[in-house]
Amino acid sequence: MTAVSAIDVVKRFGRYPALNHVTVEVKSGEFLALLGPSGSGKTTLLRLFAGLDFPDSGTITFDGEDVSARPVRERGVGFVFQNYALFKHMTVAQNIAFGLRVKPWRQRPRRREIASRVEELLDLVQLPGYGKRYPAQLSGGQRQRVALARALAVQPKLLLLDEPFGALDAKVRKDLRRWLREIHDETGITSIFVTHDQDEALEIADRVVVMSSGRIEQIDEPATVYNRPTSAFVADFLGDANRLTAAIEGGRVRLGPLLLDNAAGAQPDGEAVAYVRSHEVAVAEGEEGIAVRVDHVLDAGPALRIDATVLTTGEAIELRLVSGQPVAAGTELRLRPTLVRAYPVRS
Amino acid sequence: MKGRRDPLISSRASRAALVLAAIAYLVLVLILPLLSVFGNALAKGVGVFMDSLKDPDARAAIHLTLTVAAIAVPLNTITGIAGAWAITKFDFPGKGFLVTLVDLPFSVSPVVTGLVYILLFGAQGLLGPILAEHNIKIVFAIPGIVLATMFVTFPFVARELIPLMTEQGRSDEEAAMSLGANGWQTFFRVTLPNIRWGLLYGVLLCNARAMGEFGAVSVVSGHIRGETNTMPLHIEILYNEYNYVAAFAVASLLAMLALVTLVLKTVLEWLSGHEPVGRGH
Repeated sequence: MTAVSAIDVVKRFGRYPALNHVTVEVKSGEFLALLGPSGSGKTTLLRLFAGLDFPDSGTITFDGEDVSARPVRERGVGFVFQNYALFKHMTVAQNIAFGLRVKPWRQRPRRREIASRVEELLDLVQLPGYGKRYPAQLSGGQRQRVALARALAVQPKLLLLDEPFGALDAKVRKDLRRWLREIHDETGITSIFVTHDQDEALEIADRVVVMSSGRIEQIDEPATVYNRPTSAFVADFLGDANRLTAAIEGGRVRLGPLLLDNAAGAQPDGEAVAYVRSHEVAVAEGEEGIAVRVDHVLDAGPALRIDATVLTTGEAIELRLVSGQPVAAGTELRLRPTLVRAYPVRS
Repeated sequence: MKGRRDPLISSRASRAALVLAAIAYLVLVLILPLLSVFGNALAKGVGVFMDSLKDPDARAAIHLTLTVAAIAVPLNTITGIAGAWAITKFDFPGKGFLVTLVDLPFSVSPVVTGLVYILLFGAQGLLGPILAEHNIKIVFAIPGIVLATMFVTFPFVARELIPLMTEQGRSDEEAAMSLGANGWQTFFRVTLPNIRWGLLYGVLLCNARAMGEFGAVSVVSGHIRGETNTMPLHIEILYNEYNYVAAFAVASLLAMLALVTLVLKTVLEWLSGHEPVGRGH
């Protein structure tokens, strides 16, 4: 069942189109990631869902109802801002209670109800006893959780998160994103979050919307987006892919002396760019392969990381070898990609 | 000097010299003039000092100055907040022009401001005949003084708030609205607490200038004793009449108002410093 959708939405800032005929449908209870580089339009799309900005054309619907012109305060959404936007002159409890306190007095819960709701939410975000603190007295991760509790206090139909982990360090990010997924599963609120970090999107989202320059490149489950990218952009953006000059000949990929199956499916013949992930390359033992010169070897971490240069074209290639014989810098190797995706060069 | 020398200042002597120079400068430029104001005011004893302030014309001038400030400061506070709010929280065509316009009173000489009001509202002015017909007096009367003061002091609040509100961005307001707050709730519960110290400072500066404004007010006032003389104008008249003690007595009162303003500001800043961390700025 579709809970919210953006249908053929266009948004311009000045002459620059931030969103160019974008259509997304979000299922009820789904956890959706908007993934893309900066300037791809993902945050703009999130703000259109929230009603913080309005589309130039196209519609936003909630449960089938057109809400395109409805401002943020009437949409019933929870929004978690990138910088959290906590009210710094209020305590944590006052921040969380804000959405309940500003209701018209007929709908406003009683003081005691508000207080117990705040306690519940503090428990939910694992900050019991923090109600009397001020935002400045919290760590980044704690502020993030307060921002989430505040957004959940008004029982939104839709939860929107703008780069929810953007300002946190790597360790906290990892813990928080799993925790956010748990909160989502507990509350069941349809949620959309924006990120530029592919690991984040792939790890916790039900489906990932990959965006680039105001357009949607692909909408699929994480495994599908990763394993079966439908465009050159997605193949390039996800999973440390090397870009190599290639050609498509009779539907197969010509890479130097090799002629390989195209994992990108049927593509027209001609000049092409091949995307090869760093871990989907093997050393060709006694077979033909792409000749490379090893520039640098890093033997730290689970895999051997090798930076090399393709001899014929001078292109850089990065590979990760989990096992095999030791490789020394300055030697030459022959490589054979185990999986290659090639797309025609856009002319 | 145990290895913790300031790399910029090589010796104790040069450091002391710099401190002394700064103090000497402050004494010469700020403290001596201020002391001389109070000294001259009390030159002939406290009795004469008090009499000068009890003089009916002096009392009228004090009263007028307070009245003008009481009208101009609140109006400029409200319009200043509204202007800063519009400029920093919304995008609209002509925004850059509005920002420039806010600064206009700072760049125009106060005397020119006064003359503009004369040309506009004076007997021979653009609107003069219409005003005369309805028997409304603006120039050489209190409305003119209030208008001139408002014009000159308009930028203080807006100028103080615009950089502050620009730096704070819009996300707090957006967060409040996403939680269901309406415009007034957003303003009073989120925006105002965020800007209060900057706002207070702007209001204090605006008030100090409103009470001390001379140029523009001098042109539109007409210098009618006991009626359209503000404190600065009254001081000038007394001074030109060689009535030094009376002039300095009123001047000391004006200086006192400025000192009270500064003390108030310091006290409020001290109070704000005792609030939970992260408040204010």
